[in-house]
Amino acid sequence: MLDRNVAAEVLDQAVRTGGDFAEIFLEDKVSHSLTLQSDRIETVGTSRKHGAGIRVFEGTKAIYVYTNDTSREGLMACAAQAAAAVREGKGCTPVRFSHWRAGKDPDTWVLGGDDAAARKADKLRAANAAARAVSPEIVQVNCSFADSVQDVLICNTEGVFVTDRRVHSRIRVAAVASDGKENQSGSSSPGAGMGFEIFDSVIDPEKCGRIAANKAVTMLHADSCPAGIWPVVIDGGFGGVIFHEACGHSLEATSVAYGISEFSGKLGQQIAAPCVTAVDDGTLPGEWGSSRIDDEGMPTTCLTLIENGILVNYMVDKLGGRRMNTAPTGSGRRESYQWAPTSRMRNTYIAAGQDDEADMIATMGTGLYAKSMGGGSVNPATGEFNFAVEEGYWVEDGKILRPVRGASLIGKGGEVLMRIDRVGRNMTMAQGVCGSASGSVPVNVGQPMIRVSHMTVGGK
Amino acid sequence: MISLDGFIEKLLAAAAEAGIAPAEVFCAERSSFSAEAMDGNIDSYEVSETCALSLRGMVDGKTGYASTEAFDDDAVAMLIRGVQESAALAEAEEQDEIYAGDPEYPVLEAPENDLDSVTAEEKLAFALKMEKAARDTDARIVKSEGAYVATGRGAMILRNSCGLNLKTETPPGGYAVAGVWLVGKDGDSSATGGESKAERKFREMDPEALGRQAAENTLAMLHASPVESGVYRAVIRRDAMRSLLSTFSGIFSAENAQKKLSLLEGREGETIAAPCVTLMDDPLLPGGFASAPFDGEGSACRTKAVIEDGVLKTLLHSRKTARKAGTQSTGNASRGVGSPVRVAPTNFFFRPGEKNLDSLLADLGDGLLITELGGLHAGANPISGDFSLIAKGFRVKDGKQGEPVEQITVAGNFYELLKNVRAVGSDLEFKSGNIGSPSVDIGDIHVAGK
Repeated sequence: MLDRNVAAEVLDQAVRTGGDFAEIFLEDKVSHSLTLQSDRIETVGTSRKHGAGIRVFEGTKAIYVYTNDTSREGLMACAAQAAAAVREGKGCTPVRFSHWRAGKDPDTWVLGGDDAAARKADKLRAANAAARAVSPEIVQVNCSFADSVQDVLICNTEGVFVTDRRVHSRIRVAAVASDGKENQSGSSSPGAGMGFEIFDSVIDPEKCGRIAANKAVTMLHADSCPAGIWPVVIDGGFGGVIFHEACGHSLEATSVAYGISEFSGKLGQQIAAPCVTAVDDGTLPGEWGSSRIDDEGMPTTCLTLIENGILVNYMVDKLGGRRMNTAPTGSGRRESYQWAPTSRMRNTYIAAGQDDEADMIATMGTGLYAKSMGGGSVNPATGEFNFAVEEGYWVEDGKILRPVRGASLIGKGGEVLMRIDRVGRNMTMAQGVCGSASGSVPVNVGQPMIRVSHMTVGGK
Repeated sequence: MISLDGFIEKLLAAAAEAGIAPAEVFCAERSSFSAEAMDGNIDSYEVSETCALSLRGMVDGKTGYASTEAFDDDAVAMLIRGVQESAALAEAEEQDEIYAGDPEYPVLEAPENDLDSVTAEEKLAFALKMEKAARDTDARIVKSEGAYVATGRGAMILRNSCGLNLKTETPPGGYAVAGVWLVGKDGDSSATGGESKAERKFREMDPEALGRQAAENTLAMLHASPVESGVYRAVIRRDAMRSLLSTFSGIFSAENAQKKLSLLEGREGETIAAPCVTLMDDPLLPGGFASAPFDGEGSACRTKAVIEDGVLKTLLHSRKTARKAGTQSTGNASRGVGSPVRVAPTNFFFRPGEKNLDSLLADLGDGLLITELGGLHAGANPISGDFSLIAKGFRVKDGKQGEPVEQITVAGNFYELLKNVRAVGSDLEFKSGNIGSPSVDIGDIHVAGK
């Protein structure tokens, strides 16, 4: 993708004025997408993203310049612009590239082929038909399939010169149920770090269609969720978004390094109930949030964040490491060359515990069983988080009574982690797209079923 | 690298040769600068220049799309192949129309700006000064989460084989935005807050005033607490109302209505909001972030009321949705390089009323002022109109703003909210985007608190 001699020349140019580290991130990414709506294949698109970002450090100050022009002249011009922003750096001597780790493609990836788009279209048709077969109340089904092949080259003044290929595929089925006056929707959207072979193991299009349609129909016939403070049981899979929002973001160097996070300076301290162990693992093969190297050219890691309630690790990128005086953890990620990398989650989950799932609901009294979650967000400085319940059920005296809709869960991260009083035995993960300071990146969230002793539930 | 004009010519010629007719190129150019100060130092500095291009074309009467950010020979071949593959599979009932253009386009005056004469040093000094002013306001401002300045220019080009050849700046004259976010602490209580501003003229922004305002906004939220759960009378302040309107703006798209993703299909002429509600879409607004003479299909842009005195006058249309509905395009075709033509609002806002925020609160008596809504990407359902969102704000007692409120949720339905509006304020504000709103008295709202 880039000649080593040119790369060396560009890095020299970038640190010419005193920068003490420079890096080139070069990307070429081809994405395909198909959408199906109103029973027809609506759009089929191909797009190619191409460009490079040059980053220079001056102590803990980061300079980032990016362009589409990846010719030698284009990169040299970027490097010169970056160098011009350095004020009083102590400089560095670039190390000769020695660290060559070409990511080897698993031979299992099935890519392209002349009839690839037509075969994907058939999968969407199958999902659509299955969703519509669930109920005459299903008035619309939107399906999409998106896949991408991203080739990256990362090299820096520390001698790293790495290439990698990342492949991602994901289906999304969203069904709308209507009684003519009201609409409700439900969705299902599994994905993985795989090619077309994803349909052999991860995605059953018909199952996705049925899940989405059943949620929409269930919610159409649901009452509003009662507002108040209640015990809440959150199911596994995408339920893990609670940890992602309530705690995960606050353990990223992005907020910890500045002392902004509520968990800054708390390594070794108890921040969660003793039944909680949480992990961020970038190495799980084929998972949606995995990669062999991060976007700073470091091998990814399996990092325990919380062990039996005790905070043991933060997620750290290169710049965060400089600010915190600690080693990076292979957690530097970015959406594309248009973003400087920062510390991000990968596949983040609460590990399996020892509690019986049925018993968890039977002993909860009156409250909410959140079977399926929507997305959420957090303010890492105060720990205030919120997220939406896509499919909820009202529980009285430990018995599931009826579906409820319009519920949201809010709280403060530190408080809710301490209030987890049950952790189930079967951990599952689900896919999401996480948006933060370095753009939108694929992440897994996960957990077994858990119970929170009390939480503020929004509704009416 | 080959010139953009050269690439476009080569591509259109290759498309014609491959039997893609008509064919159209849409191109978005962008250059930007941003810098952030943190704890008295410039912490990050970013410069970019990018260009992305998409090819749209018809093959046997069917539409295909492909896009690229690389401008080499491979890119031409990839775009041609992509459009052919895409057209071969497309089954949409309504195909796109590639348009030769309108006889006339409105002329937008580019607002006066000073962006080209402002140096990077000046922008860095601005960020540092703004952060310092914020920190110096009060000892309870304990941290800055960053003080940023950003400037940018953009352009869109639309050229097709039917003879259309248009170019405009997006937004006209470029933009400058600045803001600072802070953490306040007092005893056990911590709060975050900030302020931001967008201008055409960089030198019209006052870093010290911005910094002080950010500090005051943050301090006001210290010692916030939840209110009791229940039903409250409420005013949603302009900033929070803007985010709510932005989230639900899709319900006014004819595309969504035709696809059963909005409940407004076929309801033109019906009363869907309180009589005090008028909702405007104005692409000709001077200084607007989405101001443009033409839309993503090359139709001339025009100003229109979407809701006038509570009555739905029109949905927003592209040529494609208009053809299906038997009406005219409203000039709301929207393009992104990587996506097909969609329908989107331009400068979209509730027309301001007579009363300022204080008068709205005086009329409210007792209730809540909602100043911030969170989790909109998940807790608001644009299809059903339902929302259940984390909120912040202030208690309102005897018509006056009182103690701060946090850790509550507000729940309602946007369609119902439009009908229940009691008054629209005079304080219309856009900030750095194309959606604007004044503060709005929305009647009752469900609150979950303590």
